[in-house]
Amino acid sequence: MIRSTLFKTTMRHVLRHPWQFGLAILGVALGVAVVVSIDLANDSASRAFAISTETLVGRTTHQIVGGPNGVDEAVYRQLRTELGVRTAAPVVEGYAAAPENPGLSLRILGIDPFAEAPFRPYLLPGELSPDGDVTALMTEPESALMSASTAATHGIVAGDEITMRIGQNTQTARIIGLLEPQDSTSQQAIDGLLIADIATAQEWFGSTGRLDRIDLILPEGEAGNAVAQQLATALPEDVRLVRPETRTETIEQMTAAFELNLTALSLLALIVGMFLIYNTMTFSVVQRRGLIGTLRCIGVTRRQVFTLVLGEALIVGIIGTLAGLVLGVLLGRGLVTLVTQTINDLYFTVSVQSVAISATPLIKGAILGMVATLLASAVPAWEATSTPARTVLRRSSYEDRIRQAVPIAAGIGVGLLAIGLGLLAIPSQSIVLSFTALFAMTIGAAALTPLMTLWLMQLVRPLIGRSFGMLGRMAARDVVAALSRTSVAIAALMIAVSVTIGVGLMVGSFRQTVIDWLGHTLQADIFVTSASLSSGPPTASALPPDVIERFTNTPGVDGIRRYRALTSETPLGMVTLIGTDIAPQRDRASYRFLAGDPTQLWDVFEQGGVLVSEPLAYRHNLAPNDTIMLYTDRGERPFTIAGVYYDYGSQQGAITMNLETYRSYWDDQSVSSLAIYAAPNVNVDDLVTQLRAQVGVNEVVQIRSNLSLRNESLIVFDRTFAITTVLQFLATIVAFVGVLAALMALQLERARELGVLRANGLTPRQLWGVVVSQTGLMGLTAGLLSIPVGIMLATVLVFVINKRSFGWTLFFQMDGGLFLQALLVAIVAALLAGLYPAWRMSRISPALALREE
Amino acid sequence: MTLYTKWLLVLVTLLLTGCVGGAQYVEPQTRLSAVEAVGSNRDAGFARVTEPRPFEFPRDRGPHPEYAIEWWYYTGNLQTDAGRHFGFQLTFFRSGLTPEMPERSSDWATSNIYMAHFALADVADEQFYAFERFSRGAVGLAGAQGEPTFGVWLEDWRVTSENDGLPMRLRASQDGVAIDLVLDTDRPVVLQGDRGYSQKGRERGNASYYYSFTRLETTGTVTVDGQSHAVQGLSWMDHEFGTSALEDGAEGWDWFSIQLDNATDIMYAQVRNPDGSAQYAFGMLVGTDGSYRFLEASDAMLEVVDTWRSSYSGAEYPSGWRLQIPEDNIDLQITPHLRDQELPLAVLYWEGAVRIEGTSNGQSVSGNGYVELTGYGEQQEEGLRIR
Repeated sequence: MIRSTLFKTTMRHVLRHPWQFGLAILGVALGVAVVVSIDLANDSASRAFAISTETLVGRTTHQIVGGPNGVDEAVYRQLRTELGVRTAAPVVEGYAAAPENPGLSLRILGIDPFAEAPFRPYLLPGELSPDGDVTALMTEPESALMSASTAATHGIVAGDEITMRIGQNTQTARIIGLLEPQDSTSQQAIDGLLIADIATAQEWFGSTGRLDRIDLILPEGEAGNAVAQQLATALPEDVRLVRPETRTETIEQMTAAFELNLTALSLLALIVGMFLIYNTMTFSVVQRRGLIGTLRCIGVTRRQVFTLVLGEALIVGIIGTLAGLVLGVLLGRGLVTLVTQTINDLYFTVSVQSVAISATPLIKGAILGMVATLLASAVPAWEATSTPARTVLRRSSYEDRIRQAVPIAAGIGVGLLAIGLGLLAIPSQSIVLSFTALFAMTIGAAALTPLMTLWLMQLVRPLIGRSFGMLGRMAARDVVAALSRTSVAIAALMIAVSVTIGVGLMVGSFRQTVIDWLGHTLQADIFVTSASLSSGPPTASALPPDVIERFTNTPGVDGIRRYRALTSETPLGMVTLIGTDIAPQRDRASYRFLAGDPTQLWDVFEQGGVLVSEPLAYRHNLAPNDTIMLYTDRGERPFTIAGVYYDYGSQQGAITMNLETYRSYWDDQSVSSLAIYAAPNVNVDDLVTQLRAQVGVNEVVQIRSNLSLRNESLIVFDRTFAITTVLQFLATIVAFVGVLAALMALQLERARELGVLRANGLTPRQLWGVVVSQTGLMGLTAGLLSIPVGIMLATVLVFVINKRSFGWTLFFQMDGGLFLQALLVAIVAALLAGLYPAWRMSRISPALALREE
Repeated sequence: MTLYTKWLLVLVTLLLTGCVGGAQYVEPQTRLSAVEAVGSNRDAGFARVTEPRPFEFPRDRGPHPEYAIEWWYYTGNLQTDAGRHFGFQLTFFRSGLTPEMPERSSDWATSNIYMAHFALADVADEQFYAFERFSRGAVGLAGAQGEPTFGVWLEDWRVTSENDGLPMRLRASQDGVAIDLVLDTDRPVVLQGDRGYSQKGRERGNASYYYSFTRLETTGTVTVDGQSHAVQGLSWMDHEFGTSALEDGAEGWDWFSIQLDNATDIMYAQVRNPDGSAQYAFGMLVGTDGSYRFLEASDAMLEVVDTWRSSYSGAEYPSGWRLQIPEDNIDLQITPHLRDQELPLAVLYWEGAVRIEGTSNGQSVSGNGYVELTGYGEQQEEGLRIR
């Protein structure tokens, strides 16, 4: 009986305050949605990668791999005809863009059908469409097989031709058959895959005579080890026998930091969401303190009251979480494109056809949503029940207690900040640790907010009293008087805005750092590359040799610097290997060194030493005069590190050596790109035009001026950070909605108080002033507080998180515009929040308002 | 005469299913009948065999890619000093997918596919081993050449010669079963049919080019279960190429090679109708001096005296014959050394070592030979096989 009566009181409260209830649900939903969507996007991208890796690895237990140019195909013949290793399959693989099929990026897998069966079972003939003539795969040039679902998505049918861009060349693939795997995993596995005969693949990539790798299936245990031993001694020294897992791992490690960063950003959004929930729940409890007191007085137990409040939170949590999950999935669909784009720009080509809605992110989101809601409401519920019933009835008693708690909260805040700083001081490369510190500091800052608000209001009261008179002072006093309600709202808004500032400053600093770096790195006037700057890995991208000669002889060209850049496997993982000409006077200035004596390191460099980029040195603790091993075509060879240079071009790290050095260790005469210096007084744009005229019809060579290359680099940079910007935006939206909800509820609750004021002669216009100036003050407080906190977040992001995640030293860049923008967001959100209550209050007759409660 | 296969689509499909490779896994099999495979729809563009051609050795020991099908076939009967008997078969098939290929830059581009079968009959232990391999005829993985030195190989199964023909060395090994043999002879090649133009049906054009070494002295080792045995004996080699050979309605064929202890060698083959009757038959009798005489259908009588049913495929094969050549007063009993010499490979057939006993001109003779039987059964359509 009591139970149902209690339930009715809750229901009545909900029914009388639908806005508040709805906004609480919205708050939970948004918090959950942001976390879930990021998680889903991350998950889809890494699953797509894992599946396509698993696909291409198949049942392979070992792989024979070579240097940048892969493996001589004679090694495969040797395996089969001399060493008796028959579970071996040659692979030629790579990527192609399909410019005429928007959204289609192809992973080409060149195989020998005779060797393939034990390796990649998804090529079963039962899965071939009936009209697929398999022999044509071998006998007809340019023929290929494709997944039926990929084909359907892009409107491709058997018999169609696809124009592909591979490196500098345009190639054609003719689809002679469609693969229709029975199960969905195989289906996913071959998404975006173009399967061709190995001869066709070699011709497309222009890599005749070379294989990318040889897959092997060796028996488990002793027998397999024996074969591996035998192979290790029999194989030429420019190839190595490796386990496929280790290669997959190195690639997966590359994205780990990136994904962790996204997750952390999404958690920041959840923190904001939690504040929101806490605020809403606190509010709904605080608002009913009178009711709770009365209930307690008439004999309802503490336990029952506690259950009542938590039960209400449970309802909010369940509805909000469910809505958040749905919203998260929808949002994830949009985010996955952005995440994929970033991964493609930074790491490797991954084709995500759809968002895989896997259970883990959903479960994680649901738990987060429920736990956050219950935790956030447990505090006010505990407060309401632990106070003596008579005291509860007095609102002022609560505010008193809150004010007493302010210094305690501030103490905790200072403590958390100290802990955060302490964690950061631990010498470690752990990103998790850094984020823990970041969160501690953020919450610490939030805990300090009430105290800061008190101080700020004391500061501001005389000021606005002078300009707005009594009503102005009233607004400032109200913020303090209702601290139980205002402080949480201000903290939530402050956190949200400071995240915006922090991330914005970080991206801005990063961008400026990259601009500066491009400025001193790109010294030449014109840059020539074989493929577009942003299209995947630079493997098999070589300039036609005669083009270099033609360019050298073009009038107006003063000098040419050659580069050979390849993504290469090393004992340090995948690294960009660069061989380049360095003319002492001209090119040395394009490097800025972090370590190494610039007066001496060039001598070491000339004698076969290497320069390593900062991320690589950071990750592996490399310093000048250390020795690193590299897999060369002469076997594994040591190289001395001459210096460590700033480089923001490659996160996986780069090793630069003299082109002479490179060519003496690798049998590779190709050149990937050129930097051309124009003669004095030659117009660069004219020279670009002249050089373009030298390029043959069939040669795809990108010629860009210094300026356009810089611009294009920044476009890629901005695209990479698009996801960050979106997250920043999402966090702001969450904050905005939260503040709107909190303040609106606050003002609506003041209906009676405002009624009294109106009854005493406050005009509707003045009422507008009181309401809006109060919310505006709160917005201003949050905005002002968010600036130092934002700077603190940015400092941690720039100097700790980024350094530990990617190994880059960024140069901090303040941005006044960003502060102004943040202040504006906070104030506008707060003002907007005041509009509806003000409008409503001003329309209701004072008598009605007084009867309201 | 030997096995005709048109693998083509069926075969390449088979390759993709997992017939290749020695790993232990369940592999689906697709049905492929030897005769069914000899359609003519893909023969367009390949050269046809319609009349005798001059053979030029050593060049003609190598491949003839202008024809669709070609094989090098080695069979033989070997004994250890202690009299332990082994039969072996090592065959290399070349199949052209298209008669012409556009100019391509990759070494892997080819229109020739090679298939090889290696079988060993261990009579004493009543064991029969059969293996198959496939490969493209490119990048040195598989191929054949007549000059400067003769060779035909698929991976490490290979026949090599240090000069343009004889002696030749055969090497093949898989899963503990191996042969390493040297084959040589003083006798010249036997050009089968009409100067090497071997008619396979009544219509002209259903024929192949075909020559043989019918008596190759053989020494070397046979390895079974990791144990090597020194052996010697006699081998037979066929090299045959063409494009389309069988007439419509042919069900299969029976082929016999016989090496008698009186130094006489006999080849006899018949193409069967669905009812089991002979549609077309032909043979060759090689005398002790190496001279040879063509046998027509009317020159010989072949009678089945026993049959055997395979528990693997369910096919019933003849398993014992009486062959008479009245003009030469030859009357022979042909008995398999082992009843089960069925090759359970992508193409299902029986190819086995046989023992010969009988009379020639009233003299008692004996010997060994090889018999090939096709068209008696097919690889199960949906069957699964664990190797």
